[in-house]
Amino acid sequence: MRGRLLLLQIAGPALAILFGMVISSIIILAIGRNPLEVFGLMVRFSLGRTDSLFSILFKSTPLILAGLAVAMSFRVNLFNIGVEGQYYIGAFFAAYVGFSLRGLPAAVHLPLALIAAVLGGMVWGLLPIVLKLRRGAHEVITTIMMNYIASAVLLYLINDIFRDPTQVGTPRVRTPDVAAAARIPSLAALFSPFGLTGSDVQKLNALLLLGVLLAFVLAFVLARTRFGYEVRAVSANPEAAEAAGIPNARIQFWVFMMSAGLAGLIGLNDILGFFGYLDIDFPKGLGFLGISIALLAKNNPIGVIPAALLFGFLDRGAQGVQFFARIPKETIVIMQAIIILAIVVAYELLTRYIRAQRKLEAEAAAPVGPPAAAEAEP
Amino acid sequence: MEVLSSLVSLALIASAIRVTMPILLTALGAVYSERGGVVNIGLEGIMIMGTFFGAVGNYFFAQAFPSLVARAPDVAPAAGVLAAVLAGVVFALIHAVVSVTFRVNQIISGVALNLLAAGLARFLNILLFTQATQSPGVRGFTPIDLPLLRDIPALAPLVRGISPMIPVGLLLVILSQWVLLRTRFGLRLRAVGEYPLAADTLGVSVTRMRYAGVLLSGALAGAAGAYLAVEQAHLYFEGMTQGRGFIALAAMIFGNWWPVGALGASALFGYFDALSLRVVRLPVPYQFINVLPHVVTILVLAGFVRRAQMPAADGVPYSKEEE
Repeated sequence: MRGRLLLLQIAGPALAILFGMVISSIIILAIGRNPLEVFGLMVRFSLGRTDSLFSILFKSTPLILAGLAVAMSFRVNLFNIGVEGQYYIGAFFAAYVGFSLRGLPAAVHLPLALIAAVLGGMVWGLLPIVLKLRRGAHEVITTIMMNYIASAVLLYLINDIFRDPTQVGTPRVRTPDVAAAARIPSLAALFSPFGLTGSDVQKLNALLLLGVLLAFVLAFVLARTRFGYEVRAVSANPEAAEAAGIPNARIQFWVFMMSAGLAGLIGLNDILGFFGYLDIDFPKGLGFLGISIALLAKNNPIGVIPAALLFGFLDRGAQGVQFFARIPKETIVIMQAIIILAIVVAYELLTRYIRAQRKLEAEAAAPVGPPAAAEAEP
Repeated sequence: MEVLSSLVSLALIASAIRVTMPILLTALGAVYSERGGVVNIGLEGIMIMGTFFGAVGNYFFAQAFPSLVARAPDVAPAAGVLAAVLAGVVFALIHAVVSVTFRVNQIISGVALNLLAAGLARFLNILLFTQATQSPGVRGFTPIDLPLLRDIPALAPLVRGISPMIPVGLLLVILSQWVLLRTRFGLRLRAVGEYPLAADTLGVSVTRMRYAGVLLSGALAGAAGAYLAVEQAHLYFEGMTQGRGFIALAAMIFGNWWPVGALGASALFGYFDALSLRVVRLPVPYQFINVLPHVVTILVLAGFVRRAQMPAADGVPYSKEEE
């Protein structure tokens, strides 16, 4: 039974990905192209070139953080759809600390910028969670509204208040440069001894390590600490947890804050790790991808890492097919969405199947004789 | 004083009614879906499909039948609305299959639907118009004057030269209220949303009723999208829904899950939406004026949601064997 369960756990995502490929194949066929060629090109382009491998790691870095942020909120039955807006604000907080302070050593400046990012995310997550717990306002809608407000605030801050004065008169709308001491160090030095260089190697930065570390820390916290136990209790059965003296509201509040804080870090891969300033056209939509990644990973922090890598791979592959085969990269976006729909169905069916199996086993293991008498007892 | 008078002018109210329509139609759809017990966060995505297919249906119908459109120009926008409604139903069907048949969490299914819609609209737009974000311009319906009311001069901006979709939308509110309160279908739909087990025991198919609610929500959100593209902007462009699908959900909640309530709440949002389009002289940066409806949405949810009575089984998947 155990071995079969494990097999099924792997089969779920695999089948969902396959289903996503089948639907995308139909789309590719519909536009008169050969899906096998396209997928072949995608794999060759994404996995057959070292610059692609580094690019995938770079793209996966914010996705790991986004996946973790969403997964944490899902763990306590909250839907933080506001990761998107939270990372806008986190990115601005970090950029502000980065460009407004000068002359600090990196050992102080960078941690300050990271803390600012986390705080920025939390600031933006505070209102929805307080309104949820105090007033019963559904967090899905309030966080989505906060996303729109975050874009407006960011546009105002970058365009009207903190626009780099040296860029006025150009079409560039961005903040001044972040101090070198607040930049996240590149990992290129680790790879140059092996002859691996280039812009994609240069982009890869230490935030990746932080993301992976956080995934393991969160996995440990959830599995091994008292707080993690309480989180799991609230997740599994809120009423029972409350009855056992675990205050749902407090756990939900802090986990949501963790989620928003993690979200604050998402933008730093580009802002502090690559560009060195916050541009109005900085990468957006990562928070929404985080939802997909959390679902794919079944809210498991470790599972977020391969899920993020898969999405990084798909994104890079999409660039490849767009450039070399002139296939719109949106084909891959559609594939991602189909994979998500398929995966949630697959997981649901799997959960039901396992429950049915357990029930059968329990019935088989039960002592012979009518259980009616036992059930009649209070 | 100037600011104040610009807050209540008749022209502003006329504009508010216009921008209320897409929110209202989607909120009506949400009422059907949630009365049946299915939360449909995917309405935003369905609206996006509605905007896209509204413009596309309109554009290609006019291309395909130029002589017919020359004689009866309103046929093309009607084709657009029809295409949008169909697209909305197809999209809602995905939500129904995933969340009713497979009983996946309804929020998750809706979120995935929104991601799918955004990608699909871009993809199809590239296929049809070689660029991702915008369709060619299309013609709207010929504006109409409301009979009887058109002769009252004071009401002129409200009743003359308006979109025919506006009176239709308002009639749909009354019709929906009647359907939910008085018809067999409405009672069954509500029963399924309140207490599916009881409805099931009495021989009402929970699955079929929930499908009906979700598909109706898709049709209405599709029409709402078509209104935005065909009647308001006269083209499709990316991001034109601006979260109105979510705002409509808030309007439905604020309207206490009833069509007439949804009308009142949508009008409130419409007013702030119109204000955000119009008032440029307020001493507030324009970026913040744009998000006025979103701010109001949060305030409304925070202030009034507690009094609301949502259907008891709203958002809860129903399965015979597990009850």
